[in-house]
Amino acid sequence: MNEDTSTAILDDYKYGFFTEIEADSAPKGLNEDIIRFISAKKKEPEWMLEWRLKAYRWWLKKSEPTWPHLKYPKIDYQNICYFSAPKTNVANPGELDPEIASTFERLGVPLHERDRLAGVAVDAVFDSVSVITTHREMLKEKGIIFCSISEAIQEYPDLVKKYLGTVVPYTDNYFASLNSAVFTDGSFCYIPKGVRCPVELSTYFRINALDTGQFERTLIVAEDSAYVSYLEGCTAPMRKQSQLHAAVVELVALDNAEIKYATVQNWYAGDKEGNGGIYNFVTKRGHCRGARSKISWTQVEAGAAITWKYPGVILEGDGSVGEFYSVAVTTNKMQADTGTKMIHIGNNTKSTIVSKGISAGESVNSYRGLVQVLPGARNARNHSNCDSMLIGTKCSANTFPYIESENESSVIEHEATTSRVSEDQIFYLKSRGLDEEDAISMIVNGFAREVFKQLPLEFSVEAVRLLEMKLEGSIG
Amino acid sequence: MSTTTELEPTHVTDPVAGLDHEAFAGVLEQTASALIKSKKQEAFNDYATQTAPTHQTEEWRRTDPALFPFDSVKRLPNMTRTNTLPEAEWDNHFDVVVAVTDKHYAIMDRTGITRDGAITVMALDEAAEKKPDLVKTYLQGQALPTTSGKYEAFNDAFWNFGLLIHVPDGCVLEKGILIRYTMEAPDALFIPRLVVAAGKNSSALIAEHLVSADNTKFLAVPEREMYVDEAARVKLVSLQEWGNDACQISNDWGLVARDANLNWITLNFGSKVSKMKFGSDVAGPGSAADMDGIFFASGEQHMDQRTLQIHSSADTYSRLLYKGAVKDAAHSVYQGLIIARPGAIRVDAYQTNNNLVLNPGARADSIPGLLIDADDLKCSHGSTLGNLDPEQLFYLQSRGLSEQAARRILIMGFFEEVVERIPYAFIQDRVHQHIDKKMG
Repeated sequence: MNEDTSTAILDDYKYGFFTEIEADSAPKGLNEDIIRFISAKKKEPEWMLEWRLKAYRWWLKKSEPTWPHLKYPKIDYQNICYFSAPKTNVANPGELDPEIASTFERLGVPLHERDRLAGVAVDAVFDSVSVITTHREMLKEKGIIFCSISEAIQEYPDLVKKYLGTVVPYTDNYFASLNSAVFTDGSFCYIPKGVRCPVELSTYFRINALDTGQFERTLIVAEDSAYVSYLEGCTAPMRKQSQLHAAVVELVALDNAEIKYATVQNWYAGDKEGNGGIYNFVTKRGHCRGARSKISWTQVEAGAAITWKYPGVILEGDGSVGEFYSVAVTTNKMQADTGTKMIHIGNNTKSTIVSKGISAGESVNSYRGLVQVLPGARNARNHSNCDSMLIGTKCSANTFPYIESENESSVIEHEATTSRVSEDQIFYLKSRGLDEEDAISMIVNGFAREVFKQLPLEFSVEAVRLLEMKLEGSIG
Repeated sequence: MSTTTELEPTHVTDPVAGLDHEAFAGVLEQTASALIKSKKQEAFNDYATQTAPTHQTEEWRRTDPALFPFDSVKRLPNMTRTNTLPEAEWDNHFDVVVAVTDKHYAIMDRTGITRDGAITVMALDEAAEKKPDLVKTYLQGQALPTTSGKYEAFNDAFWNFGLLIHVPDGCVLEKGILIRYTMEAPDALFIPRLVVAAGKNSSALIAEHLVSADNTKFLAVPEREMYVDEAARVKLVSLQEWGNDACQISNDWGLVARDANLNWITLNFGSKVSKMKFGSDVAGPGSAADMDGIFFASGEQHMDQRTLQIHSSADTYSRLLYKGAVKDAAHSVYQGLIIARPGAIRVDAYQTNNNLVLNPGARADSIPGLLIDADDLKCSHGSTLGNLDPEQLFYLQSRGLSEQAARRILIMGFFEEVVERIPYAFIQDRVHQHIDKKMG
């Protein structure tokens, strides 16, 4: 990439740069040997390899789902590299490669302990491996485990064995089973009984290498009365070719525990013509296993060429609470099919869904959700609110909520609206001296506010900026 | 729409109720009109190549096609014309009564409105002989927004009673037309087809009453098409009281032209298993569609309703209100979709589905949806599921009402919003009776 083109591109997507670094990669393609290769690279125990192979064999028998409202060329699973790790720092083994460190610096991710003030502990994942996890000592004192999943498999095999795949089994869906077979890295958090995690935990995912898929796996367990707030961010270089990202995130909350999980997703979304970009096929699910537990998902989906993602909560414990707050922005030729699933199993369970879709350009933005009340769930309560905003004449916005009630004592309400930015509101703001772009940005921010206020402050500010940046130039 | 091929297929993919090319040859023999024959042939070719939906098909995921008694029913031979059939209680309220039984049909013009030949109420095959231009115009399936599915093609090829109602430009049908189906034969497969066409500035009121004997296995596969021309108004009320062992798969479509209005009320109380689809397309600027529905499923009834509100033109309006209750071990499914086609700007579309789940064991699924490909519009949907509000029940009881009476008032009140839109008082009364009976 020469100077000129790189700056031109950076204007558009400031995380689009590529870090030249020597990488240790697996050959392209997928077969049992590749899985053995990944497992060996990660020095995994036998049971882990067995599990991966079982998942792979199941995956082979299945086909890609066709029900999403998405159009994309067929994915050639044999043309993807399933493992790519930056070579370890030869000069100073054990220390972070300066190239990678500067990459994360440019991305604004604090990797140094001096950044304690940032109040965030970070696990940084570069392609297929976790390169650094900060604040570990401090967390360890409280009994909190925060490390990469590969490390956890080696060091805390009993915990991993107990929880991995219990929320999203490898037979869950096509992409989840692919992930189970080839997952490379991700984070593992374990909050013991009664501990309130003092800092925000965070994972930053970076796809760097070409033709590489990222298959991360995150597992968060909150024991009785524990609390954790977790943030996830992601970016990738700009490329003509599309790249695959198929992640699985599992959350387990026991009695009285609370997990807050926030995502600011800003994968590269492809250029204006729809070339390149990340295909984001993600399975995220929380399991409120204990009584009065609470899991809250907040997501800001601003990137990726294709998004297929339904963070859900299984409300099994009596009195448990599930929440889903989402802002999904699509521009240019992006396509998003995203929403949530709330499965009410326990008595007196509650769920809230607030989804705000904004579509601009020629994008397609769909909300797809399921609220299910099983026969044994007395007094379940759900309220869903899905609003879509349209900017421009060529975009579309769809809403597909599924509501299934098998218990007469449940109360479920769903409402959805679709409309375009109101001309009256724009006129009013313009009459107050704002130009059109600022007026629309203000209206859009107001529209998404209900979700943004769920984010920690710094991220909330960032999310607002991200939204403004995304919609820049798409109005008119 | 089907493609015309010279070749007559001899192989039928997934025959419905065992109806293959030989059975179809028999159907053609019963049909005199060459025009109808060619239309049926076209549809048959389409039917022969299509695969039947399975439990895996998204639209059929909640209603297994295997629930329908395809194997044990036999297609009834075409109904033959007779001059008169016994009258029934509501006949006096209408201009024309079309009575249909498992063997015969009679078209009884009570006020003489069809005498001058302007208004047409005629069996399709008779109309094909006497008014071929009309039949040609309205038998092309333009009301169908997409290609016809398996059961639509099946109906078009195998219908055993077809009716054409045509109201010419500027004509107003005040009392309306009653179509009464009374089915008694066991193990019968009844395939009625109804085409309603309302000319420019005309107005028509049509009521349908579907009755079949209890404890009699019976399958109906009806199809209705409504063409509402510029500035016309059509109001259709369909009261479905099929018996407790009857099943139904229906596909209904309405096409609404510029400034016209279609008001369509469906009242579903009967049948064991039913899968119904109602679609309207407001296709001309200024057109509007109002779709209302009541359904009450009790015992082991299974009712699956799918509605489509298609907006293929700018400046159009549609409003939908479906209210349902489930009781005992019944299961209801409501799937609705608002579709705004590209260019359909300044559209107002509303969809509401309210469900009462009256006791443990009953189940209601609600799947409202929006599919929007245009920008300058307002669309919304709302959906609720729940039992009666305990506070309201308590309030009424504190005023001296028994629990039973309080429940009745609340349930009646719940449905009243739709009941009051029914244009005939005696049908309103009948709906109240049904609700009372269902509540037990």
